[in-house]
Amino acid sequence: MKTDNTHAILSVRHLTATAYVLQMTRRGLGFRAGQHLLLGKSGSIHNREYSVYSGEKEDFFEVLIKEVDDGLVSKQLKKLQPGDHVQIEGPLGFFTIDKDFIENGKFLFVATGSGIAPFHSFTRSYPELNYTLLHGVRKVAEAYEKDHYPKSSHILCTSAEASGDFHGRVTDYLRSHPVSADTHCYLCGNFNMIHEAFDILEQQGVPADQVHAEVYF
Amino acid sequence: MKKIAFKTLGCRLNQYETDALASRFHSGSYEIVDFNESADIYVVNTCTVTNQSDQKSRQTINQAKRLNENAMVVVTGCMANNYKESLLESKAIDFVVDNERKTSIFSLVEKHFRGEVADPEGFDHDVFSYEAAYKTFHTRSMIKIQDGCDNFCTFCIIPKVRGRAISRPAKEILNNIREVIDYGFKEVVLTGVNIGRYQDEEVNFELLVEQILNLPGDFRLRISSIEPDGFSDRFFELFAHPKLTPHLHLCLQSGAESILLKMRRMYTAKQFRQMGEKLKALYPDFNLTTDIIVGFPGETQEEFDQTVQLANELQFSHIHTFKYSVRTGTRAERMPDQLSEKQKNQRSEVVRQISDHNKRAYYNRMIGKHQRMLIERIGSDGVARGYGENYIPIRLKAKNVTRNTFVDVVLSHLHEGKELEVCAVLASDHINA
Ligand SMILES: Cc1cc2nc3c(=O)[nH]c(=O)nc-3n(C[C@H](O)[C@H](O)[C@H](O)COP(=O)(O)OP(=O)(O)OC[C@H]3O[C@@H](n4cnc5c(N)ncnc54)[C@H](O)[C@@H]3O)c2cc1C
Ligand SMILES: NC(=O)c1ccc[n+]([C@@H]2O[C@H](COP(=O)([O-])OP(=O)(O)OC[C@H]3O[C@@H](n4cnc5c(N)ncnc54)[C@H](OP(=O)(O)O)[C@@H]3O)[C@@H](O)[C@H]2O)c1
Repeated sequence: MKTDNTHAILSVRHLTATAYVLQMTRRGLGFRAGQHLLLGKSGSIHNREYSVYSGEKEDFFEVLIKEVDDGLVSKQLKKLQPGDHVQIEGPLGFFTIDKDFIENGKFLFVATGSGIAPFHSFTRSYPELNYTLLHGVRKVAEAYEKDHYPKSSHILCTSAEASGDFHGRVTDYLRSHPVSADTHCYLCGNFNMIHEAFDILEQQGVPADQVHAEVYF
Repeated sequence: MKKIAFKTLGCRLNQYETDALASRFHSGSYEIVDFNESADIYVVNTCTVTNQSDQKSRQTINQAKRLNENAMVVVTGCMANNYKESLLESKAIDFVVDNERKTSIFSLVEKHFRGEVADPEGFDHDVFSYEAAYKTFHTRSMIKIQDGCDNFCTFCIIPKVRGRAISRPAKEILNNIREVIDYGFKEVVLTGVNIGRYQDEEVNFELLVEQILNLPGDFRLRISSIEPDGFSDRFFELFAHPKLTPHLHLCLQSGAESILLKMRRMYTAKQFRQMGEKLKALYPDFNLTTDIIVGFPGETQEEFDQTVQLANELQFSHIHTFKYSVRTGTRAERMPDQLSEKQKNQRSEVVRQISDHNKRAYYNRMIGKHQRMLIERIGSDGVARGYGENYIPIRLKAKNVTRNTFVDVVLSHLHEGKELEVCAVLASDHINA
């Protein structure tokens, strides 16, 4: 058996009934926070992209996966147990932070659902980052591992209940809380949010080359 | 002497790789014959970027066996990677060689004719060990600087069949270019899958181009096809260099922000527009050409209209139109709202007409202007053909001109033939007239 891209599952952390974190061996693979892996069950021809959730300095890989109703791979991976194997291609992608800005840059991270994954990786990799994270979910229960983020940097936008920091979508929050034009903006998650957020940020004067997008679906 | 014939489908990179292979066979004492002739060996360098390219590749493979049923048929290229198993089952094919081992085809064929067991899988992966192509089918010398792509656009199969992005060492590239210039080539064209992402340690694409431009010799450099992401101001300034031709094939794919996002392209339509406008402002005669995909899943009429608008605004003088076709294993395969063939045909026709119109307008605008024409061939009618620096196809009726030399010409009028061309007169005659 070809083993060179095979990684063992170390643990599975279930965050909600549908969202889980897979922890896998890293086997010395380098990556930059914000990049993703092509991940599939060992021996399967199907794989999908998953952003690395863990930090650059951790000696394992983690991914945060939301099980999709009629999905194929997100369901297959959910059944994995410690000791099972996955195949990894990558790391890939350009949704990364320019090293020159890490120390002094001002960042806005906007996520919907599992789109929070690369931001978890950013903030684990570069603890000194000056950022605000808007996380859009339906309910508070979907605020995946929110204790990792300082309270002052994390704004939970809940669309289906009023118990978050803001009742409404991340785009509603953005409209009512304009950002300054020097902000580096990173958008991740569903296509519609990203499309709308692009327009809002443009109207607020953020130059296009400071807006980065990672469309999940 | 054994006869070998080559057929290339698809992109410039494939052409380069065929040229290099042909050159290797030529110096190894094989006779290179036309693909329509009977040969002992046929090499089909396939493409799999759309359904249509799959079909053409299959037809070409079958054609080879029909031309000489005893011939050895070698299939390589992107289809060989994408459909290896089914190709291996075909009776029309003797060997299937993947992209990573394409350079080994000479050794494979030699082995076979020595009566040894020849197994394509037995050769090492090596995507850069092509020799400089002297015996090429072209006057321009293509130079491979990079292979593979990590962009993973949602419609695209290339990352699967060409693998991860990998850059050829800058030193090797510069040596290779020195060699072809010494050999007498006058035009160098950079090729690869995603050349803008070139990175060899500290040398990025812009630096590489600069280093090439600083090489001595009477040659010019063409960048050709590139993805519009991550250009610095330096990139635009490079075109002020007299050796860099004022032409780019900058792949747009769609003029709608929403579609570009769904395609996971790395730029917005607005940024693309700014790049095009900047090039035209800095270099008013700049020739901008592009690729457009029509009928991406879910593309609405409004989104298509945005593409049309941008194509009209930026006046691409040529648009390579692709009708979107589903590629197995890509994200777009799983997207809803796939368009009908009829809709794709209609949209493709609209873009084709814009392309024709823009081409004519651009060529007309260039009438009366000087071009440095590289003579590529001289017909029996005494008409020399070639391209100017702006990549305009030129016809020149003049005595005492030689193939593979530069001549200064003035564009005089359009020539309506199978393809639209521009007639020219020698600049010296123009002054005398
Ligand atoms: C660069 C990149 C990084 C990604 N990172 C992550 C990540 O960190 N965590 C993660 O959970 N997912 C991530 N995704 C999405 C992931 O790749 C899969 O698309 C997702 O797990 C669904 O795959 P599936 O095989 O289960 O569903 P499929 O069988 O592929 O069916 C997917 C269908 O479900 C719809 N859908 C509904 N909700 C979602 C959703 N949340 N994500 C994707 N499709 C959805 C799609 O529109 C599509 O029609 C990422 C996608 C990309 C492009
Ligand atoms: N978890 C659920 O209860 C639930 C319910 C229905 C469907 N689903 C399906 O489950 C899949 C994955 O859901 P998910 O929760 O991971 O991700 P998701 O669909 O992206 O939803 C996450 C959050 O993004 C918001 N959102 C959606 N469109 C937006 C836009 N244009 N601008 C700003 N915010 C927007 C949602 O608000 P809204 O609530 O206002 O849409 C929600 O708060 C999807 O296919 C979804 O349709 C889940």
